[in-house]
Amino acid sequence: MKPVDFDANVLTPHMARILEARDMTAQERFFRLQLPRPLNHRPGQFVMASIPGIGEAPISISCGPRDDDQLELLVRNTGSLTRTMHQLQAGDAMGIRGPFGSGFELTEFEGHDVIFVAGGLGLAPLRSLIEPVVGDPQRFGRATLISGCRTPADELYREQMQAWAKLPNTRIIRLVNDTAHLPWNGEVGLVTAPIAKLEMDVPNTLAVLCGPPVMYKFVIMALAARGLPSAQIFIDLERRMRCGIGKCGHCQINHVTCCQEGPVFRFSDLESLPEALT
Amino acid sequence: MREFLATRTAVLDWLRTLGQQGDVFFPQPMGENSFNFDKVRKNSLLAFEDFDAGSKDKPFRASTCVQPPGKRLSPNNEQIFRFSKNGNGEYQLTPTLDERERILAGVRPCDLKAIHLMDRVNSDGIPDAHYLSRRQNTAIIAHDCLQPCDEHCFCDATDSLHWRQGADVFLTPQPEAQLLMEALTECGEQLLSAAGFPPCDDIEKRRALAEEKRAKPFGRHFDAPLQQVIDAVSNSWESPVWDKHVERCFACGTCNLVCPTCYCFDLQDDFNIGDPDSGQRTRSWDGCMLEEFAVVAGGHNFRPQLAARQRHRIKRKLAYLPARFGDGSFCVGCGRCGHQCTVDIDIFDIANDLLAATEAKP
Ligand SMILES: Cc1cc2nc3c(=O)[nH]c(=O)nc-3n(C[C@H](O)[C@H](O)[C@H](O)COP(=O)(O)OP(=O)(O)OC[C@H]3O[C@@H](n4cnc5c(N)ncnc54)[C@H](O)[C@@H]3O)c2cc1C
Ligand code: SF4
Ligand code: SF4
Repeated sequence: MKPVDFDANVLTPHMARILEARDMTAQERFFRLQLPRPLNHRPGQFVMASIPGIGEAPISISCGPRDDDQLELLVRNTGSLTRTMHQLQAGDAMGIRGPFGSGFELTEFEGHDVIFVAGGLGLAPLRSLIEPVVGDPQRFGRATLISGCRTPADELYREQMQAWAKLPNTRIIRLVNDTAHLPWNGEVGLVTAPIAKLEMDVPNTLAVLCGPPVMYKFVIMALAARGLPSAQIFIDLERRMRCGIGKCGHCQINHVTCCQEGPVFRFSDLESLPEALT
Repeated sequence: MREFLATRTAVLDWLRTLGQQGDVFFPQPMGENSFNFDKVRKNSLLAFEDFDAGSKDKPFRASTCVQPPGKRLSPNNEQIFRFSKNGNGEYQLTPTLDERERILAGVRPCDLKAIHLMDRVNSDGIPDAHYLSRRQNTAIIAHDCLQPCDEHCFCDATDSLHWRQGADVFLTPQPEAQLLMEALTECGEQLLSAAGFPPCDDIEKRRALAEEKRAKPFGRHFDAPLQQVIDAVSNSWESPVWDKHVERCFACGTCNLVCPTCYCFDLQDDFNIGDPDSGQRTRSWDGCMLEEFAVVAGGHNFRPQLAARQRHRIKRKLAYLPARFGDGSFCVGCGRCGHQCTVDIDIFDIANDLLAATEAKP
């Protein structure tokens, strides 16, 4: 065969140093990392994060594009690796490969109103797009974030959402399914509820969704009811992923490789994939 | 490129000599009618079939190797990197690239095509360094098939029988226990020239002899041309055929394990026993027929039904990957999955059933 150039480190992480590590909720821990070199990522991309000897998992990049060599992640404790990550402190090391995935093309959002719908941990990846959009009102239109979680104790990036709410041209709607008898200054209900009465310039609006699989069907129905075409809806999908380079096979959705063509998709591109929203 | 002619014995002796100098792999008997693609050692049992193999009372020559030769390029449990951690908590990570030279010999056309397809997969997008460093240090000596290996073969139906690309040397059986040896690449030319085999001066006649001897029809054939099969599989989403065969399936994943174009994997880490500050990440084969293949955190399974997983396996071979790479069928017709399945689930039958179901539709 014709020789092909390759990066010998393609499946071997670079070690990053943890600058900041703090629990955001009982389940989620926030990390700010110092990378050996800038990541130059796009919003919506992800990295493969690991602890050598324990394992590796896909984790969304949670910060907007940046010029420095830092990276922010939000990790939920769900299993063997993420449990161990929750024990990591500032000064410890974490392995990083990437960035992977196609991510969002910021230029496509220029001049548009954007509705972000985040369910639970879905806010972590969406933050990588929310940051640049709300940070540049000249370049983008009005930003609306509808963020839902189970109880007030599960809410992520609370202070940041409250800060965004004060920015010009920005609406933040925070919801819980249940207040669980905790103090709460947001709304109660599902993320679908506000969509029905949202003031919306439909032709000029793009919607971006990230959350658990069950959320998508209902949010899409609510947006469709408002007349938003599927080409104006973006969805961030989760699949099992081992490599991030389109080889391990786990993330395949029909003929599409989620880690390469995705994990962010235009909904109109998913309509022909029966496995996409199962 | 040059051609040579030698006796089978001379060629086997040559392979044995090469095997003394480096890593040479060749199909070797394992039990009754099974072969293992194993390293050539001093007393390895090596053989090529007769030019006359495939007579009436013995229509087949020999089975394919249980594990396809290409698996030598992405072995199970291969090390991806080693790591160690010093007293300051700093890690040192070293990728493991296997750059040893090796020869895969006696590779049949179906498996040769499969290696070509794996070359495509591993060079696509972000290339896989671990596969490619092995592949780029590997020479392939392929061997033609004049008779189907066994009753499961359908390589001609998947356009694999006449595959040559990727071989450095191509061997074709000849009468009087001889082999025609063609160098197809510079590397093949070097290998053969160094061996000092006598040149072949009637190459066209030799090729014609073999072609005349080749079984016709060769192995099993679908009920329609390959493109129609690919169309039928591509257009079958909801079909009773997906439930028909899977009824007896155990979800054991053997069909994935033996397929020359199944390449899905898992990565896992472990610490060295005795030195918990060092260890490695290894890659092991995985299979889309296994229940947990598409499970994510929180336990959601994107393909919980066995029928959905079988549909995925069949569609990868005959729809998804052909569409992605534009290089024809990713099923090379080797027959292994049907042969090794305890309950005789055969992609050949599934494809034919889908074809019939599609044609039956108004
Ligand atoms: C594109 C993408 C972005 C993600 N972003 C984030 C994020 O920002 N923050 C976050 O906390 N989590 C994120 N996840 C999920 C995260 O990858 C899983 O929680 C993680 O793999 C669990 O690993 P573990 O070793 O702790 O759990 P395990 O002990 O390995 O397993 C726990 C459960 O997770 C499943 N699982 C195993 N491996 C994977 C895998 N590679 N991908 C998905 N599920 C797996 C197992 O089958 C099991 O059900 C993301 C996943 C994807 C695909
Ligand atoms: S080998 Fe047969 S029984 Fe096992 S998973 Fe494959 S089709 Fe099912
Ligand atoms: S699907 Fe079956 S017949 Fe086709 S290449 Fe794989 S193992 Fe061989």
